[in-house]
Formats: sequence, C-alpha cells, structure tokens
Amino acid sequence: MSSELPRTLEQYRHAVRAHELSAEEYLDETRQLIERGDPQVKAFLHLRLDAARSDAQAADPSSPLAGAPIAVKDNIMMAGERCTCGSRILEHYVAPYSATVVRSLLAAGAVVPGKTNLDEFAMGSSTENSAFFPTHNPADLTRVPGGSSGGSTSAVAAGFSLGAIGSDTGGSVRQPAAFCGVVGFKPTYGLVSRYGLVAFGSSLDCIGPIARSVRDAAIMMNVMAAHDPKDATSVKRPHVDFEAALQPTLAGKRVGIIRELQGFDVQPEIAVAMETARKAAVKSGASIVDVSVPHILSALPVYYIIAPAECSANLGRFDGVRYGLHEDGRDMTETYSRTRNAGFGTEVKRRILIGAFVLSAGYYDAYYKKATSVRQLITDELDAALQSADVLLTPTTPTTAFKLGAVTDPLEMYKADVFTIPADLAGVPAISFPAGKGAAGLPIGLQLMGPSWSDAELLSSANVLFTALGGES
Amino acid sequence: MAMIIDKETLEHVASLARLEITPEEEGPLLGDLERILGYVAQLTSVDTSAIVSKRPAMTELRPDEPGEGLTREAGLAGAPAMRDGFVVVRNVMGGEDE
Amino acid sequence: MTTTIGLEIHVQLATQTKMFCGCSTAFGDEPNTHVCPVCLGLPGALPTLNAQAVRLATRIATALGCTVHEVSEFSRKNYFYPDLPKSYQITQFDHPIATGGSVPIVTQRGARNIRLTRAHIEEDAGKSMHAADITLGGETLVDFNRCGMPLIEIVSEPDMQSGDEAYEFLRNLRRLVRWLGVSSGDMEKGAMRCDVNVSVSPDPAKRGTKVEIKNLNSFRSVKRAIDYEEQRQAQCLADGTPIMTETRHFDEVQGTTTAMRSKEASNDYRYFPEPDLPLLQLDPTELESVRAQMPELPWEMQSRFERDLGLSPYDAALLTEERSTAEFFQQTIVLYDNPKKVASYMGTEVARLLNERGKTLTETQLTPATLAGLLTMVEHNAISNTASKDALPLLVDTGTTPMEAVRSLGLEQVSDTSAIEGFAREVIAENATQVEQFRSGKEAVLGFLVGQLMKKSKGKANPKLAGDTLRRLLK
Repeated sequence: MSSELPRTLEQYRHAVRAHELSAEEYLDETRQLIERGDPQVKAFLHLRLDAARSDAQAADPSSPLAGAPIAVKDNIMMAGERCTCGSRILEHYVAPYSATVVRSLLAAGAVVPGKTNLDEFAMGSSTENSAFFPTHNPADLTRVPGGSSGGSTSAVAAGFSLGAIGSDTGGSVRQPAAFCGVVGFKPTYGLVSRYGLVAFGSSLDCIGPIARSVRDAAIMMNVMAAHDPKDATSVKRPHVDFEAALQPTLAGKRVGIIRELQGFDVQPEIAVAMETARKAAVKSGASIVDVSVPHILSALPVYYIIAPAECSANLGRFDGVRYGLHEDGRDMTETYSRTRNAGFGTEVKRRILIGAFVLSAGYYDAYYKKATSVRQLITDELDAALQSADVLLTPTTPTTAFKLGAVTDPLEMYKADVFTIPADLAGVPAISFPAGKGAAGLPIGLQLMGPSWSDAELLSSANVLFTALGGES
Repeated sequence: MAMIIDKETLEHVASLARLEITPEEEGPLLGDLERILGYVAQLTSVDTSAIVSKRPAMTELRPDEPGEGLTREAGLAGAPAMRDGFVVVRNVMGGEDE
Repeated sequence: MTTTIGLEIHVQLATQTKMFCGCSTAFGDEPNTHVCPVCLGLPGALPTLNAQAVRLATRIATALGCTVHEVSEFSRKNYFYPDLPKSYQITQFDHPIATGGSVPIVTQRGARNIRLTRAHIEEDAGKSMHAADITLGGETLVDFNRCGMPLIEIVSEPDMQSGDEAYEFLRNLRRLVRWLGVSSGDMEKGAMRCDVNVSVSPDPAKRGTKVEIKNLNSFRSVKRAIDYEEQRQAQCLADGTPIMTETRHFDEVQGTTTAMRSKEASNDYRYFPEPDLPLLQLDPTELESVRAQMPELPWEMQSRFERDLGLSPYDAALLTEERSTAEFFQQTIVLYDNPKKVASYMGTEVARLLNERGKTLTETQLTPATLAGLLTMVEHNAISNTASKDALPLLVDTGTTPMEAVRSLGLEQVSDTSAIEGFAREVIAENATQVEQFRSGKEAVLGFLVGQLMKKSKGKANPKLAGDTLRRLLK
C-alpha cells in the first residue's frame, strides 16, 4: 500500500478533515488496489465502486467516518445490494431494506465499496464453505483467511477498505482477524443491533467491527453501538465514547490466564506470543492472575448443539416461496426439498440436520436442554472468573492460517474454535488483536475477554497490548 | 455401541428439515453426523442439577403504532410466482394446520 | 355413551398493528399490502412484541379467571407450510402467559363451569386459498396480510359433553371478548376460529379415541360437526369399526366430517425457546390494576339482572349481549326506575327499530335520557303507550327530546276527565248495539268502545281513563 496513504481510519479521518485528502481520492486509490489485488484475494462477492465513488463525493468530512470505505459482510442486509450469505439459495437476492448497523454506518459517513465473502450462512472457519469461491489470505494467498468473516478481514488486511463489519457466532470475526493480522471485536451480545443480520445462531450472533487498529475498532463502535427498538435482544446502555475511553496503561488491571486452557496444544509461535503479551501486560502495570473456568472445554460441544439447533429453525425460511432459489417438485414437500437441496451446501445441510436432530422428540432433553444448562454453567463460571480478573488473555486460535483445502474433517474444523466459542456462549465481549507473526510471516492473533458491558474497558486493555506488540498507531 | 443416528433417523430428520439426502451423500453424512453427535454427547456427564437458567426479560415492549412497512412490490420482488397480488404455490390442501 | 369435547379457540386481538411488527391489522385490503421484513420472514428480520396485545391478553385471561403468570416465554413451533414465512410460528409452549380459568355456560342440562387448561399468545399465519375455492387447478394463492396478526389461543379442558354445550361455550366466550374490547370475535372475518376434539366412549370412566375436527366457520358448524361426529363414532363403536385418531374436515354443505388426506406421520414441531425474544415479564402492579378495574362480566350482570331486578331470562340475556346495550340499560334505569318496563321496551320496540334500520344502539341518536324521558311521559299519562311507539322513531333517528317529539307529532295524551267524559257520552250514544251487549254481560265489548273513544280523540285519550269512564257511565 502507498506509504503516503493513511493506514488507519484514525489517520484517514485526520487527513480528510485537514483537507490533505478527499474521500474520493482515497477511494480512487483503494479502487486501484482492489482491481489489482482482489482477483487474487477474492475478498468481495460484489463490488459497487461506482456508487461508492458518488457516496464518497457526497460524504461529509465532519461526520464520524468522513467517507471512509467500510466493507460489509454479505450476510448483512444493505438495501438495493445483493445479499447472498455466500449461498446459492440467495445467489440473486437483492435486499429490500438495510440492517440497522448499515444505516448507522452510512449515516455516519461510511462508504461501502462492496459486500464481502463468507462461509455459507456464516457456518465455517475458513471461508471455504462459500458456495461461490474461497477467499485467499492476503498474508499468504495459498492459505485460508479464516472464517466465516474471511472476506471482511482480508479486505481490511489487504487495504481494500479501512474497516469492515462481520458477524461472530462462534468466533467468526475474531478467528479470521487473527489469521489475517487485523483487529476483530465481538461486542457484548445486545450492544449492537442484529436487525438485518441474516440469523445463524440467534442467541450467539453479534455484528462486530474489523479494523487495522484497536482505536479504529473503537471509532467504529461509537457508530455501531446503540439500542435498537427493532431488535428485542438489543439492550439500552448508558452512552459510552469508546475512543475517548482508551487508556494508555494497564496499571492496576488483573490479567487472567485460564488454567484449564493451559494444557491445550497450540503452535509454538502462538505460545511464545502469549508469553510476550504477558510480559507486556506486566510491564504496563498489570498483574497476572490464574483463574479457573472448570467447564470451559465443554463450550465446544455446547456450541455445536445450540448453534445448529437455532440455525435449523433460522434457515427454515429459505423455502423458495417468497424469494431466493426455487426448484419445482411434484408437490409442495418435494418443491421444498428440491429447492433446499439445490440451494444449501454440505456444511449448512450438516448443521441443519444436527439441529433438527437435537431438537427432535426423544432427543431434546438429552441434547438441546442439556446444552442450555451447561451453557449457563459455563457462563456462571466465566462470570465468576471475571470477578477475580479484569480481562482474560488467551490465544485466538491454536494455529496460524492453514492451507486452503488442508482441513476437510468438519469435527477437526470445529475443535479449532476452542478459544473463541466461550465468549459467544456467555455473551461477553472479546477481541482479537495482532500479536506479531509466526514462521513464514503468518499473522498471530491473541484474544482478550472481559465481563459483559465492559466493552470500553476491554478495548482499552487490548489497545495497550496491541500497541506494545507493534500494532498500527 | 449402538449408533446414535441410523439411516432411518437420518431420513426422518431430513424430512422434518425438508432436505433431500442423495444416495451418494448418505454414507459420508451419516459418518459425519455420528461423529459429531458422539462428540457433543459428552455433555451428559456434566452435572447440571444445580443450574438455574437466567434468561433476561424484555424491558420495553413495542407501542401499538404503525411501523415502516414494505410495498408488495418491494417485499415480494423475489417471489417466483405471483397472481393478482397473491403468492402462488403448488396446491397444498390437506397439508398443515389450515 | 359419553361424549367428551374439548375446544381450541384462536381469538384475534383487536390491536392496530400485528403481534411482532408494525404492520396494519385492518381487514379486507388488497392482498400482501400489510407486509414488512418481519411478517414476510425476510432474511435478517426480527420480532418485537406488541405492548397492546399483551394488555388485551392479560385482560381476557384475568376475566376468564386464569392464573396470569408474571413471567412467560415465547417458543418456536417449527413446520413447513407456504403461509408460514419463517417456517416456524412464534408461540408460547412451555411457559404460557396463563393457565386455568373457566367459562360458565347454561344449557338444557343446566348451569356448568367449563374449565380451561391454558391461554397463550402467538402470531397468526397467512391465508391460503386452495384451488377448490377458485377455478385455478393445482395452485394455492397465499396472502400474508394475516401473517403475524396477534392471537390468543384458549384451550379448554375436555369438559363439554354435547354440541349444545360447545355452542354455548363459544357464544359466551365471544360475548366476553367483545364485552372487554379484546376482539370483535367475528368468526366470519376470522377473528375467532375453533378446532374441536371429540371422543365417544361407551364407558364413562374411559375416554374414547380423540378425533380432531377443523374447518369450522361458525358456532353452528361447531355444533353440527360435533353432533355428526358423535353419531359417527357411536356407529363405529356399534359396528366394531375402529375409530382412528385423526384430523377430520367438516363439510358445511353435507354437514358431515371426512378424513383429511393423510398427514405425514404426526409433525414433530421441535419446540424450543425463542432466542429473539427475552422473557415476558408482567408488572404485578399493572396486573393488580387489571384485576381491580375489571368491569362486571356479562354473565355476572345477566344473573344480577334476573336475580335483583327481576328481569326475565330472555330480557336479561338480550340486554347483556353487548356491553353498550347493558350500559345503556343501566343508565336508563337510573333515570326511570322500572327495570322490567325498560327491559321490555328495549327488547321489543327499540329492538324492532334497530333491526329495521340495520343499526346498533350506539349508532342511533337514542340516549338513556331520551328513552327514560319517553317512558316517564307514559308513566305520567302525558302520552299513551301507543303514542310512545310513534314518537320513538324520532328519538332514534334524530336528537329530539321526547317532549319535542310528542309535540311535533301532536301526540299529547288527553287525560282531561271532562273531555274524556264528553267523548264517552258520544261513543255511548253512537254505539247502542255494543252498549246493550256490554250491559248484558259481554265484557270484551268494552275494548271496542274504548277503541271508538280513542278514534274520536285521535288516539290521544288516556286509554285507561277511557275504559274507566265508559265503565262508569255504562253502569
């Protein structure tokens, strides 16, 4: 990327307000980057660069985002644009309304260059489950960007946009952020509206910002965090200025390390990054505490019961009656089956089947009901741990980005979500930030989690470590 | 050990979800599902007898006032078949609760 | 032979907007014009609960004597059907808003309390019209205007034992929902729908096979369907034909029930708690105020009218059919304290005029004050009863006072004894034959003579006075 161009949202905004740069100029530069680089990265499913240019021309420099390009994951509705969710069943579907978060971003001066690629219906950890094509990690084009928000994190990593939004159900904002070397934030469940996010796991889904710096994520959160009367799970919270809340020190903070995760096998460079982060935390005035979340390893099986259960119901609406792919059958039952069979990929089918199974008569108590109880148990344990620590530090992923096509066993793919899933189950905020590079220059991400509604404090703590570990300023 | 999910159960569940499982898909799918369900079944050993569910309650309900709707054209732009303003589907008489 | 009947009634709540979105609930508009992302089940849409729907549901549940639960939960009921856009219905399964309660009924068998199992709130599905209704062949047309409409589902215990009891139950329930402004209860407009479960058993201790009947469009259909089904099942038992647990369709024309095309192995709805809606928590202070502000219920008022005001069962029922009628009556008797006369008058003269004009009481200009005034004038002999019937249309159609109406129609009754005596003497003089007949014992002839006096007075004479005067003069 041109060294003269702003690298962060914060720098961009400053430059635009100082009249050093206009929004269209910036967009023209990034357009070139996209046109040169996206054929290899394939971050975008659809581009709207001409329309974006007009939007940039009309952008108000004094608005919070001042015409900055912010990419939108293609499971978030933007009126007039296609919303495929990475699926054949919505291949030609055009959104008749915008998600609340998209409206907020646009009203704040964001310009959307395009909709980004994802694992089909946000189910996956590599973006290889997109029905259209996989996205390639800008750090190494032979590797996956992670998923399911792989398109959004790649777009930011490659400089195709200054920020992006994705959705996080089991780690889908944080894990690809870690693989691509950018910041990915999952807010407290209920802080950011879900209205207009195509539902996968309703009690888990969160829209979160993806950016090059923690400060940028905070700037985006100032626009995105708001109570929405259209979302009954949206919670009214007192106003917070996330950017202003960023503190330069961890003095007095307790950084918790989860005992039960210590034995978990991670790539050596990631273990080293964890140690570097611990030292940086101490240097910044924090104390390290050992905390216990006894059932944290049960989070994975809990998730792989609850998320499929909710998705099996959420994806019922894709039946070809009112929109989307429609394949005829001899009667209505066959029409439904043919349509859904043709429209859904294998991973989606797998999860719908698991979901229908765990909710079905005779299995509901042993599977779904049990999983919701264990979920409460883990939530209680995590809440308790977050009494004796202000933040919890973990790796985001056990490995760095793997090669495209390397992981074919679904269960193996699922198990890699071990660090990210607990935050989705408990609804607590969690952030992945870049913590250096491993062998072959592959990005490493580390994760901080905090108690519910501590989003501002969490961003602040993450910013300290992010900065200490060499992040964009 | 007895299988958690056999062919019949798979077909039943697929039918509930209106999914068609082709013969080629069936074997691998059964294998995957058996492993996944076997994996998640470990939860049965977790003691949850003391657990109390803590779902939050709604704080404000929606006032009974008109909201932003969609025109028929906008809402049903993607419908495969319409006639005189109705959505057309195959005759389903005798199907579900109607 | 014991018949056991249970009813499942869906009542549309009279809100402006739907249960989970701000779309209009207005009936009869162009198809698919009251739609939005939520009720169309578009990707990304989310439900938001209508506060007024909860209020109305609480009101009706309280009136029915249910235990209203402060905390209740929504659930997803999953199945595929073209008029169900999300392929799940948001309802309440494990934790409904109300349980228990009852509806009193009176039939030839006597007075009974039909118990309720539960009541819960849920959204309606869209409306499907099948090829049988229209000449389309092989197609179904779907209108989503109804989709998302707010419903309360009321489930009775299987306490009813005849079609008549079911009919009375529905009538009373309808009366109640209208009384409380909770619903129009209009079965024709789909504001109230009913499914029936019937079983017949030779042994009162053992319940028979339960058969469900759907497609019932009126209370009368419900009764007819039950009566037919009773016969059918009894016949089966006599024949030895097994009775299948199934859903049957009621044929309006034939008056019979027929097995519906076999449904797939009973649907597993896979109910689970609705993640998009937190728990519904009702404010106990508000619940208490709903209870405290509950008006007298129609059947309570009906009993009181019979018991304390001495009204006939017919009049008491008629006056408590609609709340507006009952209130009108109550306000009238404050001004003219003769409940029986008011009831009778309202039940005959007023009712007739309303019928002729195709109007309800509140749609006319008649007020408790003007009715009371009219009846008071009769009481004081200012006008005759007959004359009041002539004046009534004016009161009903215009805002005239009784006094003005009587004057403008020249209906003032003549009660002046000397004037009446004068008429009486003329009548006696002109009707010698009848006079002779009366004097020789034919009492009935007096009526004729009174009639003649009324004619002479152009109907204005006080008939009682006329009769008494004639009698006196004929002695």
